[in-house]
Parts: sequence; structure tokens; C-alpha cells
Amino acid sequence: MFTFILRRLGLLIPTFFGITLLTFGLIRMIPGDPVEVMMGERSLDPQMHAEALHRLGLDKPLYAQYFDYLGNLFQGNLGESLVTRESVWTEFTTLFPATLELALCAMLFACVLGLLAGVLAAIKRGSLFDHGVMGLALTGFSMPIFWWGLVLIMFFSVTLGWTPVSGRLDLMFDIPPDTGFMLIDAWRAEAADPEYNAGAFKDALMHLILPSIVLGTIPLAVIARMTRSSMLEVMQEDYVRTARAKGLSPARVIFVHTLRNALIPVLTVMGLQVGVLMGGAVLTETIFSWPGIGKWLIDAIGRRDYPIVQNGILIVATLVILTNFVVDILYGIANPRIRHAK
Amino acid sequence: MSQNNSTILPAADEPVQHYPSPLREFWQGFAFNKGAVAGLAFMVVVFLAAIFAPWVAPYSPIEQFRDHLLTPPAWSEGGSMAYLFGTDELGRDILSRLVHGARMSLFIGVVSVLASLVPGVILGLVAAFSPKVLGPAIMRLMDVMMALPALLLAVAIVAILGPGLINTIIAIAVVALPGYVRLTRASALTELNRDYVTASRVAGAGKLRLMFVTVLPNCMAPLIVHATMSFSSAILEAAALGFLGLGVQPPTPEWGTMLASARDYIERAWWVVTMPGLTILFSVLAINLMGDGLRDALDPKLKRAA
Repeated sequence: MFTFILRRLGLLIPTFFGITLLTFGLIRMIPGDPVEVMMGERSLDPQMHAEALHRLGLDKPLYAQYFDYLGNLFQGNLGESLVTRESVWTEFTTLFPATLELALCAMLFACVLGLLAGVLAAIKRGSLFDHGVMGLALTGFSMPIFWWGLVLIMFFSVTLGWTPVSGRLDLMFDIPPDTGFMLIDAWRAEAADPEYNAGAFKDALMHLILPSIVLGTIPLAVIARMTRSSMLEVMQEDYVRTARAKGLSPARVIFVHTLRNALIPVLTVMGLQVGVLMGGAVLTETIFSWPGIGKWLIDAIGRRDYPIVQNGILIVATLVILTNFVVDILYGIANPRIRHAK
Repeated sequence: MSQNNSTILPAADEPVQHYPSPLREFWQGFAFNKGAVAGLAFMVVVFLAAIFAPWVAPYSPIEQFRDHLLTPPAWSEGGSMAYLFGTDELGRDILSRLVHGARMSLFIGVVSVLASLVPGVILGLVAAFSPKVLGPAIMRLMDVMMALPALLLAVAIVAILGPGLINTIIAIAVVALPGYVRLTRASALTELNRDYVTASRVAGAGKLRLMFVTVLPNCMAPLIVHATMSFSSAILEAAALGFLGLGVQPPTPEWGTMLASARDYIERAWWVVTMPGLTILFSVLAINLMGDGLRDALDPKLKRAA
């Protein structure tokens, strides 16, 4: 097990350095040089231009610039925003809980419904229900989620007035961001002062529902399809027939014998959805004005705030490879055949 | 001998049974999937509309009918047959914009698929044929690209290069590249162990011949399926970039860009939001249905995979 983890870790390190090269290179791909972009008109003065280049270390050879960049990274210095002068890491840590909360709720939605639909469709293979679920899953998989968000807002927020249009919490509440997770913060604030903060938790929950559905739609479709096909495969195994033959109840055969083994490929797919979630967060957060990482990056791109773009992407990519690493390890624990494969 | 066989074989005077031609066999497999045929039919219509856009569309996509701002679609109250799907906030005919937008979306889709398929296949074959140094180097590079969420990478590329048609295509092609490289390498590696490859090698075939003439044709089935699926995601990504204001710039009609401004009209003009979105959804769905059909027809091994 230990060597397995080490081997996976060994693959991780070059990937990480590759990503730093990529984020380093991204900024150098800007037409012209970064100083022109950052300083605008002022960079026309040749002396100021040269000074700015020197201050940013951009007059050094490329490899030296890269080592400077790496050096800063390892000292935990991710640079600061050109606009707010706040450190990129601080901004990231303030906004990340919002994205994490949204992503977790979306994943919860996708897993619960996806597993249920997939299992039922597999049991009733070929039925109207099965065809319906698979049709819906393919539709969900094909969904332009930014449009899906607009449609849901149009129907549930504007026409029915059930859910709020955007944001995380109604402006009338003033909740201290202790954990950064609005559900927890609102619940604690309501418990501490039930009169002043009455309804805060419910409000936070209502704000979460539509964005979670929008972000969870594609993972839901993928999980439902994967669960169904994996269930169908396992249901043909001899040991399932044995379980059935020895008179176990159908429910026990399905949930204990079949589902447990069918879940292994589904877990991998869930792990792969982390990247999908981060990409989807960009769109979902933009539609719902959700103050998270996705909106932060898009806004930074709009303002040409390059340190945020560069290192924000670095952080997100690192998160994705770390998650995939953890999934790999879990997969190795669940399935010894993977662990011992060369 | 012949006496015994006559009970199994068709009578001598009947023509010998031929195997169906590969094309016919493919079509039978494809047509078995009703959804795939429906998807194909839909896409044929969309392609024809895109090619003949100036003749199909009732108006120019950028002509503004100032007397008819936000006209509802023909079938709802206040609509007129003159503007079948209604007009947008500048009085432009939505149907005409959708038809012309199809040109843009399909063009982006086709070009970006080709732009990632060709280098992807070459890199994948190189990776499979040089397992020592070059192969692992290519695969690590692909790992790096896979670590970035697709849309985020595309957004970053467009943010650096600037918005526009060509940069949208570049961004989408770059994002799709690792998929092709991995798939080609994986299928090439399984083929490399087959006897026919060894035979060809023993017969003195050069590396290039082995790669492109011997191995590649046998990896085509999964590649075609993957290309279809990435065609649909290219359309989705192009629309997403357009929605974020990073894609094709207005007033050029593009499906995603049409939705970017639609958000402001959610409360008063549902058709401005609904029509472009449904067009994207139906097109992507149609292509994905076709992809399922292609997979069934070309690659029975993959049938069970999700």
C-alpha cells in the first residue's frame, strides 16, 4: 500500500511542475508585454517602462524568471491582485468556502438522485422508466448549463417566486462569516439570536437550491448512466445468481451484493467530476452572482488582473490533481487488483 | 460429403450468400438505434440550414426592425407570422439569427474537432510507438492539461489571446487535445500486441508505415465516436464562451452570444432566453444520440460503457 501511494505521488510531482510551467507561460503568451497591459498609457514612457520591467523581474532571462516564480510559490507568495492589492491567497481562502459549499451540495444532489435513478433503471431494464431515465440523463448530459440556470430562474424565481434570483443570503441578514459555509454560519447565527436572525438558515438554503441543481445536472446524468451500466454488468455475475438462488431477498441481493461492487467504477467517475464541477462553477457562479472562485476568476479576467488569473488557475489545478490523487488512493484501497497492478 | 452439407448449405441453384458490405453493415447497426437516426435527421436539417443560411433565413441576422422590439413568437399572444420565433431587444428576427448562428457554431465545432483530432492522433501514435522517453513526456504533458478544468483552460486561453472566432477555436481545440492523445495511445497499444502488427514489422514495414497504415485504421472506431462526442462538447464550450462574452463578438450571431444579453429580459421576454438555449440543447442532444448510435454500430465492445 505504501509503495502504491509513493508511486502515485511520484506521478503527481511532475504534473504539478508542469502546471507551474503552464501558468508561468500563460502570462508570457499575452501579446505585447505584461507591463503594457498592466500600466496602460503610462507604460509609453520608456524609462517608466524599463523600471516597471525591472521591478517585476521581467528583464531577466526566462529561466531566471521561472525560478523566481517557483521560489515565490514555495515561500507561499502567490502575488497580489493588481486591483485590490489583496494577496491572491487571502482572496482565494475567503471565497473558496462559497464554491466548496455549492460544489458539495451539487454533488450531494447528483449522487443521491443519480444512484437512485441508475439502480432503479437497471432493475427495471427495458421498461418505460428505464428509457425515460436514460433519455433524461442524455438530455442532462447535453445541457448548456448556463441556459439551464436562466430557465430555472425564469420559472422558479420570476414566475413562481419560490426562490431568490441570486447571491447567497438576503441582504437583510448580517451573518459573521465564521466558517465561510453559509448554511452553517446562518444556522449558528439563528441559534445564537433566534429573533434577530429568524429565518436565516432557510434563506441560505433557498439560495443554494437552484445553483446546486444547475451545477449538479451534468454529474447527475453521468452518475445515473454509469450506475445503470455498472449495475447491469454486476447483475450478470455468478455470485449474484448464487445469492439469488440461495433465497436472499431481492432487496438484499441488489443493495448488498450488487450495488457494493457496482459502486467502484461509479466512485472513479465521481472523482473525475471534480474538474467538471470547477468548470461548471465558473458558469453557475456567473449566472447566480455566487461569490465564489469561478466568478472571481472570470471577474479577474475581465479586469485583466493577471496575478489572480495566473495563480488562481494554479490553485484550482492543484486542487483537481490532489483530489484525483485521493480518489486514486481510495480506489487502490477498495480494489487490490489496482493496487498491485504495475 | 456434398450430400451431408446440402442440409445445412442453401440449395446449389440459389446464389451464394454474401456478407453485407461494411457500409451496409454499419448502417444496419446505426439504424437499429432509433434515437441515433432521429439525431442524424435533426443534424442534417441544421447543417442544411447553416449552409443555405442566406436563403433559408427570412431576414438578415443583423437587420434591426425598430418598430418590432421584443415581438413574441408567432404562436403566442401579440406575435406575428412575420417573426416566427419573435424578435430580440434590438428588433432582430430570432429565427434568422439562429439560422445564421448555426453556421458559426457548426464551423467552430468542425474546425476545432479537426484541429485537435489531427495533432491528437499523431501525438498519441508517437506516444504509443516510443515508450521510452517521448511517450511518457507527451503523456505527462497531457496530464497537466487534463488537470485544468476544460472550461477554465478555454477561458484562460481566450483571456490571454483575446476574444474572437479564431481564438475560440484554438481554445476549444487545445482543451480537447488530451482526450484524443490518450484514446489513440490506448487503442494503439492494444493493437501493437496483435499478430498482424508483428507480421507487418517482420515483413520490414517502417515505423511511419506501421503507425499510419497498419495500426491507425484499426483504431478508427473509438476515435470516430470520440470525435462525435467532442463535436458536441465543442458546440457547448463555444456557446459557454460566447455566454461569458469571451467568444465570437456581437453583432455576429452565435448561439451562446445570443444568450449573454438574454439575462436582462428574463422577466418580460421568455422567448429571447428560450429559443437559443433550446437550439443549443437539441443540437448537442442530437449529436450525442448520433454518437451513441455510432458506438453501437462501430464498436460493439464499447456498448456497455457509459
